Order: sequence, then C-alpha cells, then structure tokens
Amino acid sequence: MQGLLPYVVRRLLWAPLILLAVSFIAFAITRFGPGDPLRVAMGQYSDPVALERVRHEEGLDKPFFEQYGIYLKNLAHGKLGESLTYRNRDVSEVIFPRIWVSARLGLVALLIIFAVGVPLGIFAALRQGTWADPFSISVFLFLQSVPVLITVPLMLLVFVLKLHWLPAAGWGGLFDKRIVMPALALSLPGIAGIARLTRATTLSVLREDYVRTARAKGLREFTVISRHVVRNSLLPLVTVVGISLATLVEGAFFAETLLGIPGIGKLTFDSVQGRDYNIILALALVLCSAFIIANIVIDIAYTVIDPRVRYERQRLG
Amino acid sequence: MRRLLRKKIAVGALLFIGVFYFCGLFAPVVAPHSYTDQNLDAVNQGPSLSHPLGTDSLGRDMLSRVIWASRTTAMVTIATLLTGGLVLAVGLGLLAGYAGGKVDTAIMRVGDVFFGLPALPMLIMINATVGARVRGWGWLGAIERGLRIDGFPDYVVIFGALSLFFWVGGARIIRSQVLALRETEYVTAARAMGASTWRIIGQHLLPNVSNIVIVSLSASLGAIAGTEIMLSWFGVGVQPPTPSFGAMLYEGGSIRTLQANPHLLLVPGAIVAGLIFSFNLLGDALTDVLTPHAR
Amino acid sequence: MKRFLAVAALLLGLVTVASVVACGGSGGSSENAGSAGGGSASGPTLRMVGGDPLTLDPALVTDAISATYIVEIFSGLVTIDKDLKLAPDIAKSWDVSPDGKTYTFHLRDDVVFQQTYRQVTATDFKYSMERAVNPDTASTVAEAYLGDIVGARDMINGTASQISGIEVVDDFTLRITIDEPKPYFLAKMACPTSFVVDKTQVEDDQRNWTKKPHGTGPFMVKEWKLGESLTLQANERYYAGAPSVKTVNFMLSGGSQLTMYEDDEVDVAGISINDIERALDANDPLHSEYLSADSMSVSYLGFNTQKPPFDDPKVRQAFGLAIDRDKIVEVVLKDMVPVAHSIMPPGLPGYNSSATAGAYDPEKAKQLLAESRYGGPSGLPKITLSQVGAGATAGNDIQAMVEMWKQNLGVEVEIQQTDQATFWQDLDKRSYQMFAAGWVMDYPDPEDILDILFNSKSHQNSTGYSNPEVDQLLVQARTEQDSAKRMTLYQQVEQLILADVPWVPLYYGRDHVVVKPYVKNFMLPPVVMPYLRYVTIDQ
Repeated sequence: MQGLLPYVVRRLLWAPLILLAVSFIAFAITRFGPGDPLRVAMGQYSDPVALERVRHEEGLDKPFFEQYGIYLKNLAHGKLGESLTYRNRDVSEVIFPRIWVSARLGLVALLIIFAVGVPLGIFAALRQGTWADPFSISVFLFLQSVPVLITVPLMLLVFVLKLHWLPAAGWGGLFDKRIVMPALALSLPGIAGIARLTRATTLSVLREDYVRTARAKGLREFTVISRHVVRNSLLPLVTVVGISLATLVEGAFFAETLLGIPGIGKLTFDSVQGRDYNIILALALVLCSAFIIANIVIDIAYTVIDPRVRYERQRLG
Repeated sequence: MRRLLRKKIAVGALLFIGVFYFCGLFAPVVAPHSYTDQNLDAVNQGPSLSHPLGTDSLGRDMLSRVIWASRTTAMVTIATLLTGGLVLAVGLGLLAGYAGGKVDTAIMRVGDVFFGLPALPMLIMINATVGARVRGWGWLGAIERGLRIDGFPDYVVIFGALSLFFWVGGARIIRSQVLALRETEYVTAARAMGASTWRIIGQHLLPNVSNIVIVSLSASLGAIAGTEIMLSWFGVGVQPPTPSFGAMLYEGGSIRTLQANPHLLLVPGAIVAGLIFSFNLLGDALTDVLTPHAR
Repeated sequence: MKRFLAVAALLLGLVTVASVVACGGSGGSSENAGSAGGGSASGPTLRMVGGDPLTLDPALVTDAISATYIVEIFSGLVTIDKDLKLAPDIAKSWDVSPDGKTYTFHLRDDVVFQQTYRQVTATDFKYSMERAVNPDTASTVAEAYLGDIVGARDMINGTASQISGIEVVDDFTLRITIDEPKPYFLAKMACPTSFVVDKTQVEDDQRNWTKKPHGTGPFMVKEWKLGESLTLQANERYYAGAPSVKTVNFMLSGGSQLTMYEDDEVDVAGISINDIERALDANDPLHSEYLSADSMSVSYLGFNTQKPPFDDPKVRQAFGLAIDRDKIVEVVLKDMVPVAHSIMPPGLPGYNSSATAGAYDPEKAKQLLAESRYGGPSGLPKITLSQVGAGATAGNDIQAMVEMWKQNLGVEVEIQQTDQATFWQDLDKRSYQMFAAGWVMDYPDPEDILDILFNSKSHQNSTGYSNPEVDQLLVQARTEQDSAKRMTLYQQVEQLILADVPWVPLYYGRDHVVVKPYVKNFMLPPVVMPYLRYVTIDQ
C-alpha cells in the first residue's frame, strides 16, 4: 500500500482546482453569449423598464468578476443559488430530485450492462471457433452502434403499442415497471461493449499458462472458469466502467426526453434554452464532480485489484 | 494495409464508409434532386421509381436528403478529426509525453477538465451562447459564400466545440506511448548525438506512434459522428432546410410518425447505424492488424 | 476471496435481471396513476398531462403554463366565464363612476382562504396588489397589469410604500381608481397579477409558501413534485360550489401523450399533427373522443418596416401575396389550424370576419416586387427569416413558404433558427428583417393586440411600424366608453394595418385533444381561464 495514499491525496488535491476551472468556464460561457434569462422568463411581454428593474434586483447587472466572486462565496457556504426560471426555488431543490432519478436509472442500466454483458462475453469466448463466436461479435458490435435515439422509438412501437407490455412514459421509482424500457434502451450499447471486452480479455486469459495448468490438473471446466478465468477477466472491465458512465449520461438525455422521465437530461436542455445560469452552473459542477470522483474510485479499485499497476502509477503519476 | 484488406469484414466496412463520404463530399453532384425541392402533392410516399427511398413530409426526395445529410456528417467528422484529432491530440500528446514535467502535468490536467465535463450539455450550451457570437463573424460568412457551403459558420462552431472534447483520449494514449519510447536506445542515442527536439519528434517518435494514432483516431470517428448526430437531433448544428441525420431522426422518431410512415425513421436510422457500425468494425480490424498483442 | 467475488457478481447479475423482469410484470404501483376513470377513495380523479409550472405565485407568473394552474388555485375580483365574457368572481358586483375612472367593487362575504378558512376581505386585495408591485417581489409584469392604477407606478419605482389608488372602503368594498377611463382595465383584472393571496401565509414563509399556497379557487395544491407531478384537490369550501372532480393529477415530465392515453394512463391527451388523421377518421375509435376548439392566438410573419428591403410596403405586400396559405395549412399542417385573414382572432370582441389583406396571387406579387424601390428580385439584399427553434423542430410550414417565395418571386430566403433566449433579445433590438412568431391573447380585449403591438411608441412593436393615423385611433379607442364605437375604431385600425402589411397573419390557434368518454363537460379554454370545476366524471 505504499504508494497508494499519496497518490489518492494528490488526485484529490487536484479536484477542487479542476472544479474551479470548470465553474469559471461554465460561468464565462453562459454570460458570454446572447440571451437573457430574465427576458426569457418574461415571455411574450417585453418591457425594458421592468427588465432593468428586476435585473438590478437580482444582481445581474453587476460586473462579471463581481458576480463570479459572489457566486464563489455562496458556493463556499454550500449555497448553489436560486433558479432564474423557477422563481423563488433553490437550485438544489430543482436539481437534486432529478439527479436522484437519473442516478437510479443509470445504476440499473449499469447493473444490467454488467449482469448481462459479462456472461455473454465469457460465453462467446468459450465458443470461439464455432459459428457462435463471430456471429455474436457482429451482433454485439451492431447493437453498440445503434444510437439510443433510434432504439427508443422502435422499442416504444413494439413494446408499448404493439404488445402492450410496458407503459409509455413517466417514472415511478426503482421498482416500478416504467423503469424497464429506459433502462433496457440505455443498456443495450453498453451490454454489447462489455460483452466484447469480456470476450477479449477472457480469450487472453484462456491462453495463459495457469489455465492450461488447471486444466491439466484435471479440474472441472466450471471450476477452471469461475476460479481463474473470471477473476482475471474482470480486471480491465473496471476501467471501462468510467467510459460506460459517460455513454450512459449521454444516452440518458434522449431516453429521458422521449420517455418523459424527470431526470437531469431534460432539465439540462431546458435550462440552456432558458439561460438559467445557476442551474447550468450547478449541473456542470455536480456532473463534473461525479466524474472526477468516479474516476478516482475506479483508479483506486484498479490499483487494489492488480498490484502490478501500482508501480506504474507511481512512475507516471 | 494489405493485412487489413485481407479481412473481408474490414473491406465491407471501408466500402460503406467510402461510399458514404464520397456521396457526402460530392453531394451536389451525386444527389438526384435538390434537398429543398418540395412537392406538396406527394408527401410521405414510400419507395418508388422516381423516389427510391420515398419522400418526406414536404414531398422532398429522401434519397437526396440522405445524401446531403451525409455531407453534413462527413464534413463535421473530417474537420473534427483534423483539428481535434491530428492537431490537438497528436500535437499535445507528443508534447506532453516528450517534454514531461510541468508541461506534461499542465496538459494532462487541462485534459482532465475537458474529460470530466459532460460533453453533450456543454456542447449544447456552447452552441447557444458562444456559437451565436461566432456565427456573427463576418469572415466566416465570406468563406461560406466563397466555397458555396451552406451553413459554414454552423460547421465551424460544431467541429470547433467537438474538437475540444475529443482530443483528450487520443492525447493520453499517444502520451503513454511516447513515454515508453522516450527511454528507448535510439532516442537516447539521437539525443546524445545532439539532435534537436523537433528532429527527434518528427523522425523517431512520430513514425512509431503513427500506428497508435490511426487506431485511436478511427475509434473516435464513430463517437464523433454519433455526437454530431445527437447534437443535430437537439437542433444544435446545421439549420434546416440543410438536412442532417439528427434532424431526420427527430422528425421520424415521433412514435405516431413511426406508425404511419416508418421509412422516415428507418431510412436515416439504418444509414446512421450502418455508418457507426462500419467505423467500429474498422476500428476493431485496425486494432487487430496494427497491434497484434492487444488481442 | 476473489473467487467468491466473481461468483457473487455473476449471481448478483442473474438476480438483478430476474428481478427487473419480474417487477416489470407486476402492476406498477406508481405514485400518480390512478385507475382508469379515477376512483381513489377520495372521489373522481382526472388524470392529465401538463407542463411544468415555473411558479405558483400569481404576482410573478408570466407564462401560460403556470397561469393555467394558478387560475384554478387562486381567484380575483373578476374572471372569464364559459362564454368568454367578463364575469364576477370574488367581486359579486361593481359600479363604475361616470368619468370611467373609479371602480367600486362589492365583494362576496363567503370567501375563505384554503386550509385556514380565514375570511377574505378588501384589505387582502389591497395587500395582494401592493405586494405585486412591491420592488422586493421582483415581478416583471406588475407594470403591465396594475400600472393603470393611480399610484401603482410610484410604488413600483420605490417612491411610495402603498398604492394610493386602491382604497379599502370597508371589509367588503374595494375602490380602485385608474389614471384614465380605460374600458379594458376590468379585463386585466381577470389576470393572475391582481389575484388575492393570503398575507399571513406569505409573510410567514416568504420562500416556500407557493408549494402549498392558500388560494381561494376551486382547487388546492395537494402535492407538487417539481418536474414530476402536480396534484390538485377540490376545495370543498369554494364559494361557487365544490367541484365535482375531487382530484386532478398532472403528469409533468413529458412523453408521448397519445400513447399514454391509449394505454389508459391519462384521461386527456393532446393530438399532434402525426395523429390528426386518425382523429378525423370516422372509423377510428379515437374519432368519437376527439375535441377541438379555437384558442385566441395568431401566428404571423413579421417584417421589420425599418430595415431594407421590407421598408418598402410593396415588397411586404409582394411577400404576403406570394404564399399560398391555404395549401400550406391543408398539406403541411393537415388543416389543424384555420388560415388567418385578420389580426384579431375569432372570439375576440371586435373580430372582423371580413377583414383581409388579400388572397394568394403570385402574379400580382411578382408585379408588386417589380414596382418596388428595388426593382425586382435581383435588387434585393440578402434576406433572412428568423424563428425560434427548439430541438430539431424544423418548421415545415416555414420551409414550404421559403420554397414558395423561390418559385413565385425568384427570391432566396435564408432560414435562421435561434434559440428562444437569443430570439427574444434580438427581437427587442429589432435586428431581424423578417421573423416568424405568434401572439397569444392574455385578456379578451383588442387593446391587448392592436395597441400593444402596433402603437409606434410601444416597446413590443417589433416591426417598427409607425402610422400616425393608427396611433391616433388607438389613443382614442383606449378611453372610448361606448363599446360599439370602440370596436369600430379597432376594426378601422386593423384594416389600416392589414393594408400596410407589417404582418402577414398566417393562422389562428386551435387546440386538439382526445378525451375519454367518461369525462364530461370538458372544454378547451381559448384564453387562460378556470374550467376544471365544470368537469364531471361518469363512474
């Protein structure tokens, strides 16, 4: 464990700096462009006098750096500010329920991805040489290539309208059947990806000496697989979790919009449309923090699982 | 390259991509109709002799619109690849790997920032805010008229923003390769003989890195194309009537349209899926060919 | 240890998949889907789809979606009834002084706030309106709806601490004095900004009171999950009689409405352009459940009359005559909206069915263009049409129009889609040459469209239209007491404007829904007004 703690600490130290940079970039981008949240909130009416009055009251007429400073100060106190479109609502009350929804959806999708993808990949690896193997690779690859925004309408057509198995929209929590379709749609590309990767690593493991040794020793095939093969195949999958998360977040935007799920996908789009600066900023910060933490956790997990990696880490820092 | 061609699947993929990009780049010549020719008396028709892929809700020829949409995707992917991929990823990756130290850390941390930012919402926001400003730049309009490319400023915004998010992965891979190569004998020897940094990079590092570069670039092509399509689905990117796959998928994807006129979704959908599939196949094949031990 | 992990992972995987599938099979006990036709223990339930309200504070509301909920939860002095007429609400009657500037409202004595049952008095109204104009409340529409009241602008500017023009005569008598005898003032009082709010609740919890506000309307908020659902519950103490429907559930998160309707998850669903054929087909079961009604709004093309080339009226006329609106509505919009021939939509007092700007005439259009200052298509500068695009909604009708200009006039128009925020800003700055927009009536009076949009001094005049004759007639109409004469004045104004073509009116608004057969007395309100209390559900 020698090099681990300093490594983790070093990564964590960078995090606030990165977040600061992200907040600054997001802050600057939103204010750099045209578009005024107050004007959008006014809708069809336009009254420049009222607009200026409210702008002053909301503090949006102060110079850029002063606004940024105020924002940071509030942030330090844990206040994310008030939404500019949802009047009198804290940003946190707008965002966090939706993040929670998206998180649950994402978790279920992630579970499905690994639960289905890993066994599929191992199965394909074991069947190498038969027709099942190249066939399954192609199928996996194809599934991985179809964007979510095509699979969702097709699924809606088949599962809802034709078969009446599933409801069309809405959200009912983790154990409600409305989670099935979005979770499935989101996980399809991921399943394929994991399956391919698992297959690849399993194949390389299968060639290793210790597997041949185990087989030579006369161990049953199942023991060979579960004790040796699976453990070593799982290693690289850990790194892929990070990428899967990113793909999930992207796919979630479309799934949520098409299936009426109150997650952050639709919220992000709406708040960009309405120039709700505070929500946009908060979303950027929250998402970014989540990624940073996720990546650190994955790196640590990787290091823990495979001692050989630790040394590399120290060298390359 | 020859080994690549031996794999039948790779050939198929290359062919598909080739046809796609050919149609895209030469769209004005290849497409049978203009993408704006509408015929309000012949809307939503299925495939026929005069319209092999049917017509859309304004009576426009689907085949032509698909060809023009390929142009959008082709141009954006090529541009992003050139700037984000080649210039940024290779350049920064080489620099970080070779120079090491503070330069390396700086580049990697900046990469962390961009890697950590959620690309899609950031792109939407960049397009809405910065994009509007960029579109107002007069000289972009001049190029638009000069090269006769409709919507040129939109392309610039898109591929500029996309490059920002896509260089990181490639740069990291290149960097680690460079790090490994840096310590090899002939590089050390070259340095001992007094070769300049640029010489070393250009003559020794770059050729050895090129395999990795090709693999990583081909891997990102699929993702870039996918992102462009997702963006135009949101209405970010080229504007109607200039066709884009994302917009066609949006129109065709509403479930009622799907029931009534499935070809409006299935035609662009199949092509998009086919394109990304081909990119992925190609990427896999390239990986097999160029880095045999990665299997 | 590691082996155990691996096997455990596999088992977990299988269990997860199995449970997801199993849970999928069992009926979802969700939070807001009542059984078909409503039947929770609390009485008939209506399930609808709705937009996410931005606020439930009547003083702050600017958008129509929030307003539709607010008019069910709160109420004011007057309201709009089913026949689109101004009707008494909390004010059971009123007198207007001979000079037309003082309104004396006589309030009902049986109105109480929800939850607390505190009686509503004239003092509550004065409080609510002063709160709306108070700078601390930061309302962007206070000037628009309450600015006519004497002293209101002083309070908005911070030079007064109360509105001098609002006088509490006694508990149930409220006297309001306005600056000029404007007949449309009463119509503005039907809008949320002047609705009454519970002072005790507001002052007790400035930030969170809107989550469960004590309104006075037919419904109260039972539960509001931001972005997910809004549940209204019948107000049993409502002074005009408790509504028959006891619970109304709004799903806020989106999704395909008709699919949900056919799946029996909602009782009312909007019909979009992709479904309209089914709804109109007599053999389709949806047909008998289909309902449509005009909404008081108009979509139009606006020209910037100060910018070339549309500074020349002949060019504007040419463009207007060169598009075949009937064909576009028929083919592209599938006859879902009526073609507009006038500025004032039908249903609005003053609507003139014979007002017109001229029918489709491509020959005349070409001729007019040639006669214009620019001499024809080649003399025109580059033309851009700006519109709001959100998502890849392509505005097929606009694309069709652009094609028509190309075919009939030989002019290439470029479409520029911008997002909402940029659009409003640029519209205010008058930087567009030509734009596509719509206008929704907030209150049923011609002033709300003709004066606000075409008065040369108005901020909302995004076409830059300036006609002294029109201005003069508008000023006159503002204070004309004889209502017949007033309408004639507005019709004159409309005809003048139509001849000048700062606008090409395109279509009026029309809403289309399907309603389950067991839902009765459902209506589609043409303007924002309360309607849920008339709905009944057959069990």
